[in-house]
Amino acid sequence: MKRLLQSKLITDYGMVLVLVLLGALVTWATWGEQHPDDPGAGKHLANGIVELPGDDTHVAVVVRQTKSDTEYAEAIATQLKDKGVTVAAIIQARTPRDARVELVKLGEQQVRVNAIATHHFCFSTWGVLQQSALDGLAANYPSLKGVKPFKPASRMGSTFLSKKNLVSILNQNAPIAIMAIGMTFVIITAGIDLSVGSLMALSALITAVSLRDWFGGPQASSLGLYSAFASAMLVCTLCGVFVGLMVTSFQVPPFVVTLALMMMARGCSFILAGGADSVDIQASGAELLYSGTIFGVPNQIVLMLVLFVLAHVVMSHTALGRYVYAVGGNAQAARLSGVPVFRVIIVVYAICGAAAGLAGVLDASHFTSGRPKAGEFYELQVIAAVVVGGASLMGGEGKIFGTFIGAMILAVIQNGLNMQGVDSYRANVVYGALILVAVLLDQLRNRSSRWA
Amino acid sequence: MSGQRTLWGVIVIAISMTSCDNTNTPGTVNKSKGTIGYSAMSFKNPFFVVIKNNLEASANDAGYELIANDADSDVSKQANHIDEFISKGVSAIVLNPTDRLAIGEAIKKANAAGVPVFTCDLQCIAEDVDIAGHIGTDNYQGGTLAGQAMVEALGEQGGEVLVLDFKQANSCVLRVDGFMEVINQHNEGRREGKIAVIAMVNGGGDEDIGYKATSDNLVAHPNIAGVFAINDPSALGAWKAIDEAGKNEQITIVGFDGAKAGKQAILEGKIFADPIQFPAKMGNDIMEKILAYQHGEEFDPVELIPTSLYKREDARKDPEIQN
Repeated sequence: MKRLLQSKLITDYGMVLVLVLLGALVTWATWGEQHPDDPGAGKHLANGIVELPGDDTHVAVVVRQTKSDTEYAEAIATQLKDKGVTVAAIIQARTPRDARVELVKLGEQQVRVNAIATHHFCFSTWGVLQQSALDGLAANYPSLKGVKPFKPASRMGSTFLSKKNLVSILNQNAPIAIMAIGMTFVIITAGIDLSVGSLMALSALITAVSLRDWFGGPQASSLGLYSAFASAMLVCTLCGVFVGLMVTSFQVPPFVVTLALMMMARGCSFILAGGADSVDIQASGAELLYSGTIFGVPNQIVLMLVLFVLAHVVMSHTALGRYVYAVGGNAQAARLSGVPVFRVIIVVYAICGAAAGLAGVLDASHFTSGRPKAGEFYELQVIAAVVVGGASLMGGEGKIFGTFIGAMILAVIQNGLNMQGVDSYRANVVYGALILVAVLLDQLRNRSSRWA
Repeated sequence: MSGQRTLWGVIVIAISMTSCDNTNTPGTVNKSKGTIGYSAMSFKNPFFVVIKNNLEASANDAGYELIANDADSDVSKQANHIDEFISKGVSAIVLNPTDRLAIGEAIKKANAAGVPVFTCDLQCIAEDVDIAGHIGTDNYQGGTLAGQAMVEALGEQGGEVLVLDFKQANSCVLRVDGFMEVINQHNEGRREGKIAVIAMVNGGGDEDIGYKATSDNLVAHPNIAGVFAINDPSALGAWKAIDEAGKNEQITIVGFDGAKAGKQAILEGKIFADPIQFPAKMGNDIMEKILAYQHGEEFDPVELIPTSLYKREDARKDPEIQN
């Protein structure tokens, strides 16, 4: 047992274990009845209706006007027809009121209906599908006599583990995770970048304003769109280069340079917005960067995963990666052994700036607007993700994979707390405690390895 | 050694998570009709806490649970809340839109998932979004009440008036528009006793900013006779500046909101009058709208609650205020 605990797996990947445990905890906390409404459940429901006693079952399918409900209704109708059961009508209602109107119409037209196939959402929240309301309808319209609603059986499961939720966790936190990649580089060189949240807003504003004024406004072509995205990222990259120059050539501590840049970038964002809450992007297609998918996976997630893999390769298989660790471990020694310390530092801040620029472009695409308040306090969340992921603020230590896990740990906590409706004050307490625990772990591990 | 300590750390985190989780004891799922998801503007403002408490009470009465999340005035947090509500499969979503335009994309997602969205306080102005119902304050009407209170306070003499506005919020722009309409009517055809708005400055909707803005303007315009502030915090900031300058007798303050602190200030004579909003009614009525929607009944899709003017004699009778 003791040997197991001391194994390299636990000491190196302790944070993965934390993530798994947190996942299990949130799974347990969100355990409850699940209400399936996919085509498979529809087919199952249809089979149940087929087996009803009597051979004059006339079914009306009643669902909402959404894409997934259309598929669900079609699955039910197809299966029922295959088994020779009459499908009297498929009603896709925009509101519960419309559903009632359509059912009354069936009654007026004397269409025989004695079973309604629906799903849990409509069954539980639409007044017209309650048995008492249906009995009322049947009293007025003889063709609806004895009508009963049917829905698929519920099963136990966790909302947290649903595919929809897991995808949305990754998607929501992609901008922070992307910025955390850049921050990992910076922190490994024993630096810090407080400006990422503000650069994100600046990037979103540059995207919105340049699209409006230079790249064609509402008629912007896709070339115009990409030009706006690229110029926003370019400005943020140059901001990173500026930070790098100040840190190296003028020996200004990175904390101070990036604190100043944080204020300047935030100020510039508000200036660009001209006092408005947000600058609207009217170009069509601007939202595609955020809402588009690749093989069914949202663009943001694909982008994030690709960047993590890329960063991992850079850090573990290239000269730049070795230089970054060397600079963070001991800058003096690195310089003496021929590492271009200044250039490495400038490059890492440029990467961090570019990552913040990308996050800003994604935010602009998400909200189809540039918001000067975007990314407020994100710098702290980003730094927290990196630190929880095991990087040392003293420099020289940290892993890209760890940062990914760190970002996901914070994401899972936030998701779990939101799902339970725990207010943000408590969430902040947990965040704070977690960051402290992570750093403590790091310290203990360092100490024990020194003693070993 | 270190492995054991890692494990201890893990246990500490797990305990801290569960202890914060247990406001809603998991596992004990009581048989409710469903869940209503509420994403509030900000619980730092008691106005939204009142909405939440009343929404929760009326939801529970109707057999629903409420999940209330704090968007902290951040539209991206609010968009995340909507995603989570969709994943959780709530029966309806209630929002105080943090951004009237940018929240549109998130609402479209809820529309696509077939979850009805109700707004409260601010109205979403994005295109192609489907809002099942809205309830808010008639801010323009409130502004006219504030104007009437100012006319009443200054009387036939008229005088110079300072307006503390907050242009970022459309609701506050409407309040000033309504106020100006009454003031302009008062001034029409008048040679003497006009009410002159000498400055409209940003009060930030905040005590501190309202204080600084008023202090500066008291120096620039020593004869100010009245201040209209678009909410209670900025009105209280104005009072502080006026009190420090010793001009309490000279200047009348009209605020807006009728939050507890504002009502208290009216009782103490610091603020002359407030057009008051009714957050408790908003919380109750939004649940009524949800139920009406579900039952397919006719209801007013956009309801603006008129404000009413609240003065010292109202405060004396108000059980909410302690003497």
